[in-house]
Amino acid sequence: MCLEMREAKVAVVGDSSSVAGFRPLGFAVFALESPAEARGVWQQLAGGEYGVVFITEPAYAEIEDLVAEVADEALPAVTVIPGAGTQGGVGEKKLARAIEKALGTTVLIREEDE
Amino acid sequence: MPALRVNPNRMELLKLRRRRQVAQRGHKLLKDKLDELMKEFLARIGESRKMRSSVERELFAAYGTFAIARAESGSASLAAALASGTPEDLLEVGERNVMSVRIPQFTLGELPAPGGYSLVTTPIVLDSALDGLASLAPRLIELAEREKAIELLAAEIERTRRRVNALEYVLIPQLDETIRDIGMKLDEAERSNLTRLMKVKEMIEAQQQ
Repeated sequence: MCLEMREAKVAVVGDSSSVAGFRPLGFAVFALESPAEARGVWQQLAGGEYGVVFITEPAYAEIEDLVAEVADEALPAVTVIPGAGTQGGVGEKKLARAIEKALGTTVLIREEDE
Repeated sequence: MPALRVNPNRMELLKLRRRRQVAQRGHKLLKDKLDELMKEFLARIGESRKMRSSVERELFAAYGTFAIARAESGSASLAAALASGTPEDLLEVGERNVMSVRIPQFTLGELPAPGGYSLVTTPIVLDSALDGLASLAPRLIELAEREKAIELLAAEIERTRRRVNALEYVLIPQLDETIRDIGMKLDEAERSNLTRLMKVKEMIEAQQQ
């Protein structure tokens, strides 16, 4: 049931060594000197031009509150990706929070996985 | 549950009964919606989790290859090589309606062929690193779509559950209580009326004798 189709860009936000490789692929790359700069570019990201925003873990940690504000809207879809040299698992946690919100628990799902 | 403050008359009683009927119908509908949302939600979780962990693994591998490329060519020349490329409208964004939750759907268009860097000054692993990233891109987009769907569904489930609970534990008991109260008050009025009539009849009979 597609209502309307439109074009959108894909943004990648993070430190330059993680995200530089996406630039030749046509992604819009926001290379940050420090994670704190994420706050400055967020306005641009949430403006509606971007359908999907990939954001590395340190940058996401910086603007988590801003991202939560648009969680209810269809666009942009903010997805956390691990950056080069980060642990991973933050995206997993974001998902777990959504599950907890819906079900009231995450325990059952974990058991299913194992 | 305190009863509502309304005049205890037949008119209000009828009105409240109608309201309770509507509330119960709404409650049933919302509960069905909640069940269906839950089904959709649970169906998506497992898959999405698996996908995330495999995508993360591949992404780390891609970072690794880039690190090798950087080590071979020096970070300055690598940065120069990767500076080409302009942001393009890569996505077709559509919408799907799952239980009145509007979920975005992304279709990834063709990625531009990476290039524009000198093959002489850049190491060969850069090509494979870019290839790796390019082949990962569709799965990244799919992951984004799935996770967004899960988040939106979760928010809708939470909202719906609140409504169901409000109806089930607040509004409907309140209406029931009020209906009972009015019923009792009307019965009481009826009884007092009856005794009054009996008393009057008795008085009239006493006078006639």
